[in-house]
Amino acid sequence: MKRNTLVLFAVLVILAIFGWSGWANWQYRKQAAERALASAEHGELVSDAGGNASQYLSPLKGKPAPAFTLEDLSGKKVSLADYKGKAVLINFWATWCAPCKIETPWLVELRNQYAGQGFEVLGISTEGDDLAPDDKAAWVKEKAEIAKFVKAEKMPYPVLINGDSLSKPYGGLDSMPTSFYVDRSGTVVAVQMGLTSKEDMEANIRKALGAGM
Amino acid sequence: MRIRRWSRVPDASCVSLGLAAVLTAAVVAGAQSPLIDSPSRSVTKTEAVEYLFPEQISVPAGKPSPVALHFRIRAGLHINSHTPPADYLIPTVLSIPEDSGVKLHSASYPEGAELTLPADPATKLSVYSGDFAIQAKIVASPGDHLVEAKLRYQACDQNACLPPKTITVPIDVVGK
Repeated sequence: MKRNTLVLFAVLVILAIFGWSGWANWQYRKQAAERALASAEHGELVSDAGGNASQYLSPLKGKPAPAFTLEDLSGKKVSLADYKGKAVLINFWATWCAPCKIETPWLVELRNQYAGQGFEVLGISTEGDDLAPDDKAAWVKEKAEIAKFVKAEKMPYPVLINGDSLSKPYGGLDSMPTSFYVDRSGTVVAVQMGLTSKEDMEANIRKALGAGM
Repeated sequence: MRIRRWSRVPDASCVSLGLAAVLTAAVVAGAQSPLIDSPSRSVTKTEAVEYLFPEQISVPAGKPSPVALHFRIRAGLHINSHTPPADYLIPTVLSIPEDSGVKLHSASYPEGAELTLPADPATKLSVYSGDFAIQAKIVASPGDHLVEAKLRYQACDQNACLPPKTITVPIDVVGK
């Protein structure tokens, strides 16, 4: 009888261990699946030197920034090549994006702070909407929305439109905001996806300027 | 007596071990489910919002009839409610194409939950997350209509936003 009890107890312990390991395994796989889903859609965030998850693993990092020419709100054509020799922050944003609205004042302050060192921000509106190229009325409305945002936020840097046309060369632009930091030689030195902090942005700007961290 | 006693022990052990084996197999099988599920869904094409039900409804023809449309928002994301607190935010809106044989008489949206982004506590958003339902009233003409209603929304997480999206909400509406 005592032996039976011992055997049953041992079996119950084994069952408990199996049960716990199965549950832990399921949790691990569930989290891995969620991570895979997130990384497939948003790229991969890795920690910077300060331990903050702010860097986006982009295939563009370390490569020349793809060239582009877009129009600003007045219809003037602006090219990335116009800023040769300067450090440039290419900031893809959208009027409907609350995190973009939060980071815009930081961009304005940082642009004004570092402009004297050869730094510029190019804000590129990327509405991601299904606007047909020949839908003039919709584009007029879109431009009005962008102009309203630019005025409200007092954005002192060039704001370009139709960033959606750069989606392919800039890796999809699946979410806003997304920023590419380009150094004076035209190489992408950092990529940031989503809202991080003013300090992160400043560190990346200094990296683009060649001023160190 | 001794033999009988020993003969009972293996029986109990065998039953218990057999049970353990069956349960272990079940646990292991269960542990595989997230990976088994994943190939069947396109990771990169998963929508932020998924229409759940109903797939088919039967309503009196020519009369406004209530129908609750249920949706699920992907974990970790939220979408603006129907009444976001700022003009620049895109509201969630249900619509039905005009030539579908069914008209949207009215739609009552749930109240959004207040959300504050950690980076800017002063900004308050009105959002849906998890499951939500839109209480619609539709008017169907007589007959069977495969309606492709539309839900327009714009989704974000705490730090980034996805482009606005319009998904199709397929409902088989029978007007009697």
